[in-house]
Amino acid sequence: MSLEYRLLAFLALALSLMYADSRYEYLDRVRFSVAYLTTPVYWLADIPTRISFWIDDVFVSQRDLIEENTQLRQQLLFAQRELQLLAGLASENSRLRELQEASQAVQGRVMTAEIINVSNDPGSRRVLINRGAHDGVVDGHALLDAHGLMGQVVEVLPFTSWVLLITDSRHGTPVQVNRNGERTIARGSRGDAPGLELEFVPDTADIVVGDLLVSSGLGQRFPKDYPVAEVTSVVHDPGQPFALIRARPLAQMDRTRHVMLVVPDDEAIVGPPMMFDADTVVVPELPAAAITEEVVSEPVISPPAAPGVIE
Amino acid sequence: MTPKSNGIWVILLSFLVAYLLAIVPFPDWAMHYRPQWVMLVLIYWVMALPYRVGIGSAWMAGIFTDILEGSMLGIHAFTFAVLAYITLNLHQRVRLFSSWQQSGIILALVGLVMTGTYWIKVMTGETAQGSMLFLLGALSSAFVWPWLFLLLRQLRRGFDVH
Repeated sequence: MSLEYRLLAFLALALSLMYADSRYEYLDRVRFSVAYLTTPVYWLADIPTRISFWIDDVFVSQRDLIEENTQLRQQLLFAQRELQLLAGLASENSRLRELQEASQAVQGRVMTAEIINVSNDPGSRRVLINRGAHDGVVDGHALLDAHGLMGQVVEVLPFTSWVLLITDSRHGTPVQVNRNGERTIARGSRGDAPGLELEFVPDTADIVVGDLLVSSGLGQRFPKDYPVAEVTSVVHDPGQPFALIRARPLAQMDRTRHVMLVVPDDEAIVGPPMMFDADTVVVPELPAAAITEEVVSEPVISPPAAPGVIE
Repeated sequence: MTPKSNGIWVILLSFLVAYLLAIVPFPDWAMHYRPQWVMLVLIYWVMALPYRVGIGSAWMAGIFTDILEGSMLGIHAFTFAVLAYITLNLHQRVRLFSSWQQSGIILALVGLVMTGTYWIKVMTGETAQGSMLFLLGALSSAFVWPWLFLLLRQLRRGFDVH
């Protein structure tokens, strides 16, 4: 008989914990402290991956390295060319913004991180990254990989943090169509395949397959204009009040290990000094003044473009 | 060494390995097939040493799972306590079963606990309502049980945990 009482006592304890955890904040601190115990477990679980990376690094032929090196150089060259174009665009953009007296776009700083684990609950899509409160991570920081937006930090632990991916069905990302600025919310799809669904888009909205969706920055969580997804299917079902639009996230959710955290600029000032370590990469500040000068001086150097046109 | 604490580190170590296996990253398609290692190890120790590992230990193991997974505190504590209770009631019969009969019991137990956990998670909004594919985890748990059982029994006898 005492067994039943023990069971009831522990069940009651569990229920009250669940209630307290969902209603009050103070258990978050308990969770935070106990994470000092769980972090080593994650560190241990990550060892096989690290070893496989290490083996990849060590047992690689010189020819492969040289090949990879040339490839990377080429990629860097392309990236730098795009960056040059971007510099021009950025200065043009900032001048247009000045004309409109709009506020400056937030640049933000970038902190590199690594994904060290994936949530083992198939119903939720979350990843664990190796940056935590000691690195200055705060709830709501955006996570990116080289291709697009991945998610946002939802739980900060001492040395690690949980990131909710944008493909989680409980996550909505404010996006806009890059082509025409149509705004909508991209929600993680409820099915098993990771994807995004655009919610409550009227049938008449101008969204076609292949459209690029970028973050609109409206939720004040994500930085503006980062690529999020590409529209893969648009279905206009007369029986449905809204169009059924699916999109594929551009970030390589299940393949990438190296990711970036975007730290908004105003927080970077008050953040702990740990953020300024060697791993922290500052987004290249575009030399706006120099470029503006260059662009302004351009007509003087090459006037032949002007005559013959409308004027 | 007091009889109560004899070989406690064997039990703790087996749980640690179970936790590691539970969180080692799997590819996406294999997610559903992951055996419930922590539950299996818990069931084994409850069956082997019912006077030492009981509802309280199960509750602690559940809390640690909750913290490790970052899920709401108490969800796994709740279901693991129920699991320990059922196992405590069954252990004398299950010990006599052949290994495939035991696997059947494991399938039912793990499936029940996983479903319960899923229900609580859906009710509290921790996870979205999806397919019941996660029950494949119960199937794989039942599949690995005979080997795990042999291994843990070998460990228990080798280190004389009683």
